[in-house]
Amino acid sequence: MSRGKKFVALTLMTFVVIVVLGAIWGHKGGDPTGTASTAANSYTNVFQGGVQAGIPVSQVGINQLATSTGGAGLSVNFVWVLITGFLVLFMQVGFAFLVTGLTRAKNAAHMMMMNIAAFAVALLAYYAVGFAFMFGGLQVLSLGGTSPLSGMFHIASKTNGGIIGTHGFLLQSHGSYDVGVMVLFLFEVVFMETAGYIIVGAIAERISFAGFLLAEVCMGAIIYPIYGQWMWGGGWLAHLGTGPLSLGHGAVDFAGSGVVHATGGWAALALAMVLGPRIGKFNKDGSANAIPGHNIPFVVVGTLILVFGWMGFNPGSTLSAIDNRIGVVAVNTLLAACAGFVLAMIITDTKYGKPDISMSCNGMLAGLVAITAPCAFVAPWAAVVIGMVAGILVVYSVEMFDKLGIDDPCGAISVHGMNGAWGVLSVGLFADGTYGAGWNGVNGTVKGLFYGDGGQLVAQLFHVVVGFVWAWGITWLIFTIAKNFMKIRVSEEAELEGLDMPEFGVLAYPDFVMHHAAAGHVTTDAEETPNGSPRTVDLERS
Amino acid sequence: MKLVVAVVKPHKLDDVKTALENLGVQGMTITEVQGFGRQRGHAEVYRGAEYKIDFVPKVKLEVLVDDADALKVTEEIQASARTDKIGDGKVWVLPVEHLARIRTGEFGRDAL
Repeated sequence: MSRGKKFVALTLMTFVVIVVLGAIWGHKGGDPTGTASTAANSYTNVFQGGVQAGIPVSQVGINQLATSTGGAGLSVNFVWVLITGFLVLFMQVGFAFLVTGLTRAKNAAHMMMMNIAAFAVALLAYYAVGFAFMFGGLQVLSLGGTSPLSGMFHIASKTNGGIIGTHGFLLQSHGSYDVGVMVLFLFEVVFMETAGYIIVGAIAERISFAGFLLAEVCMGAIIYPIYGQWMWGGGWLAHLGTGPLSLGHGAVDFAGSGVVHATGGWAALALAMVLGPRIGKFNKDGSANAIPGHNIPFVVVGTLILVFGWMGFNPGSTLSAIDNRIGVVAVNTLLAACAGFVLAMIITDTKYGKPDISMSCNGMLAGLVAITAPCAFVAPWAAVVIGMVAGILVVYSVEMFDKLGIDDPCGAISVHGMNGAWGVLSVGLFADGTYGAGWNGVNGTVKGLFYGDGGQLVAQLFHVVVGFVWAWGITWLIFTIAKNFMKIRVSEEAELEGLDMPEFGVLAYPDFVMHHAAAGHVTTDAEETPNGSPRTVDLERS
Repeated sequence: MKLVVAVVKPHKLDDVKTALENLGVQGMTITEVQGFGRQRGHAEVYRGAEYKIDFVPKVKLEVLVDDADALKVTEEIQASARTDKIGDGKVWVLPVEHLARIRTGEFGRDAL
């Protein structure tokens, strides 16, 4: 069959499968209208017994008040989670600006297309299977309502937590066509998207579009959801506290330093290693060349949009507007972001003679990534310290990956991988015991090493190590196999010319002539040069 | 007739233009160019890796003048483009063999 016919056949088959499954599953058991969700919070449920127990007529008014209050609480939670979800969705714009600004003009259209395609492809993969793998066994929705998501595959006993969820495929199986489930899906799918775009930064300017789409499908269907289930879907890492090891409150990750950012960062590391560096990035002696990005204003705008989006990412992760901790979460997030920026700015100024703008922006993002896990559990002073460490860590980490010969054009591995791991560990150090009563089914609040619970730090270490092994390992495995069957890297000619025209037949900036001084003129004696002579990578097209 | 060519710092272009207009020069052509002289560009650090900017942005200016005015125009460009800092550029004069105004077909000095 020709490529076109194969594509049509595949699309038709998918269409038929979705229609058939959608019709079979219908809305049995779920609550698509929302009436049952409101009723779940009514007085008959809130006060056990209710009408059945024979409530006096004089109390009817009070009971109705209780019902409407319960319903209002549910609605407020829905609104909070949806709006913060929309903020996280806007982070897509920030990432698009950031990574496009940090790369060369000749690849700008390719970068933008990757960002928007990641969104569409990974979202559908998550809708089809990823969400069910991750939250299919969540049992309880902290936003209230009914809970059709109750299917989980366990290893030994329920107290050890599960390894994969089994309800909610295509958002319809097992009655998951439900108002509360939809709210949860919207909030969680944009988190998965964040892990999805993180990888764009490390694979930029050389991955083929087909290879990239494979990475996004894997991210939405397997890499992110399965690890997410272990942490957030009632899985075994979250149950380290109730299991035989009794480690603190199990692995704790409030908004996803580890689940989202480190997963994205380590997957990006594996991809960058499989792909190899860009032509001209490293010299024969292993020293790194600078390949400056083409639009620093994009980098700054993108960073600020990400800060704004993070105001949904962290505070929204309460999944409840009734949780009064949201103010603490939001302020801690901003403190860490600014501390990270200032430290990265000071260090680059001291080391290189001038403050590095893109690195300072990376410092701000590093602070945000690091505070994402501990934001609800730590005091403001600790948030500043966590952000400061993040700002230092990111600068040295970028240098380290350059020395290791791993080409990461946008610093994604350093910002999201290294600082994601730091953020997870920082919970085990700085959690001050003012929040998290009964977290993961363990009595008492969450405390770190400095507040008397060393077990928590060990649980966090589990989270870091298991997260690295999973995300790096599975991505490396998939692409080491995949590169035998498909082209995951563009041809040398396409890379030198810029990916816009060979991959998409369009230029990002057709009416502009690029200047060497501003856009990076790279002369190199890199090993990829076939005849061994220095080559000039020229940005000018006309 | 002579062609006066100058390479100057981009931010001095307005000063040069005003000075030449005051002198009575009727027209000029400019091009954005890049290059280096004795200062050999400069080195910067981007995300921890050093890189060299060899070609510095400049503006190239071309003015057609009568033989008698060439020296005066040259001196005026020198005076108005000077910042006394490295990288101020150069100015030179070339002979012009033939000159015509395309619309009217005027030749030589009439076409200036």
